[in-house]
Amino acid sequence: MTTSLPRFPGPFAAATAVRPDGDVARAQDATFRDIPEARRISIALEDVGKVYPNGRRALADVDLIVPDGDFVFLVGPSGAGKSTLIKLLIRDELPTSGTVFVAGRDVRRMPRREVPRLRRRIGIVFQDYKLLPHKSVRDNVAFALEVTGTPGRQIRPAVERVLALVGLTAAAGQFPNQLSGGEQQRTAIARALVHEPRVVIADEPTGNLDPLISWEIIQLLLRINELGTTVLMATHNAEVVTALRRRVVALEDGRVVRDEVGGYHREY
Amino acid sequence: MLRFLLFSIRRAWDGFWRNAVMSLAATVTMTLMLLMLAGLVIGLSGLDAGLRFVEQKVEVQAFIADGTPQPKIDALVAQVRALPEVSQVEYIDKAQALQQWQEQLRQQGKPDYSSDTGTNPIPASITVKLRDPHVYGNVIQTLQSAQGVVTDVLETQHVVDALLSVTGFLRTAGVIVLVLVGVTVLFIVVNTIRLAVVARSEEIEIMRLVGASDAFIRWPFIFEGMLVGIFGAAITLGILALASQPIGQGVATLVGQVPIQFDQSLGQQLVMVVGGSGLALGAAGAFISVRTYLIR
Repeated sequence: MTTSLPRFPGPFAAATAVRPDGDVARAQDATFRDIPEARRISIALEDVGKVYPNGRRALADVDLIVPDGDFVFLVGPSGAGKSTLIKLLIRDELPTSGTVFVAGRDVRRMPRREVPRLRRRIGIVFQDYKLLPHKSVRDNVAFALEVTGTPGRQIRPAVERVLALVGLTAAAGQFPNQLSGGEQQRTAIARALVHEPRVVIADEPTGNLDPLISWEIIQLLLRINELGTTVLMATHNAEVVTALRRRVVALEDGRVVRDEVGGYHREY
Repeated sequence: MLRFLLFSIRRAWDGFWRNAVMSLAATVTMTLMLLMLAGLVIGLSGLDAGLRFVEQKVEVQAFIADGTPQPKIDALVAQVRALPEVSQVEYIDKAQALQQWQEQLRQQGKPDYSSDTGTNPIPASITVKLRDPHVYGNVIQTLQSAQGVVTDVLETQHVVDALLSVTGFLRTAGVIVLVLVGVTVLFIVVNTIRLAVVARSEEIEIMRLVGASDAFIRWPFIFEGMLVGIFGAAITLGILALASQPIGQGVATLVGQVPIQFDQSLGQQLVMVVGGSGLALGAAGAFISVRTYLIR
């Protein structure tokens, strides 16, 4: 639609303009012209509130903008709303109020059948890895592509590429129970990356790992971020957050209490 | 599309064997349910055959005294044939009657001692078929009035009237029982397959998180359910095939006269009913079980 107008100069341009869909196209163009950054925002939450059916208020008045390529720590005590926020981003839950944009899509207005497409643009990493025990490292990563209908000949090169990125090429044939915790988490990160997502969301990825291995995982996420992927990492790991001096968003009782670039992490 | 089908079928196959114990439990349940269903179908079709036989049997039989001269018999046959209620009259002489009886004994596998007596104890008879099983008219009086020719008139009117009302009731009851059993089977199979699906809930969760569409999550499980159905149906049909011989004989000795036949048409019907319900139940069970994981 955006390219169709210049192709019809002269009298056709006027004809296009009076058509309702033509008007819509122009209106959208105008929006994007006015706010050029809108194309470069990975995550945008505006005035988001979430109340669970049991009446518990998990989030209130949350505003958060994460531009493409940013690395953000999400911190806060247990029950502060970190998990709920992540669930909203992957549309596992819907906000009670406000709007949630992820990878350019309005999550709240999105029809259910388009949710899988959104999730392919988000890589998700969990504390408990969520690997399939009966599949090898390679097959666990390939699984993410198989179940989304990727043609077989594209799967293998994509899998090898991400395994090389996370440094697991040598362990590709091993099964999760043969791996250390750090290797399992790197497998999960490879799986999250294999769709080449715009955003990687990591929920306590170092929660089950000792400090040294945790650093390895953080280094890996930083490297992924350097390659252009936005990373949002929820964590309790004060040491890491303080040492890295990155942007820190702190939640408390469902509200953003601090959002500082290079901020510190208070002990909870 | 082809890739999707291949993917789904391969995953269904893998899934079936990976959870072998669960799958076997589901298959055994399915087999038991299908056997129950097949038993009911066989019973109902036997009942139906019996009922049809009885309804067909609405006829009047007159036994002829031994030694009656042939012209007298011919005259009686002509007289009865002239009645408006009568559709068909058949005369069976003593030799034919004996032969029929021997034939019947042979079919039922009973020993035949008739040749030992050296005489023929079976009387000749006239069988009268009616146009309408309910309208007898003067048939019975005509036969009974032939003094000296007819020894006895076997008239089944009141039996038939009672039977006709009973058969209608039995048919309705049979269909109701069949439907109730079908629903029960569906619930049990759904529950069993749900156990198999719950055992794989982690896998379903991962599929959802990496962006698998509902179809990619659902169809492998539906194919897996169908696999359970196919295996269950195959085992059921195998058991039925092995058991058909003894069951057929058992029924024949039990019911005796009524010629219930376990012929090819019943066999085909059973293959269709058992195979079809196995497939449908497996697919429906899986569909319902996976649904709970997809609705969010």
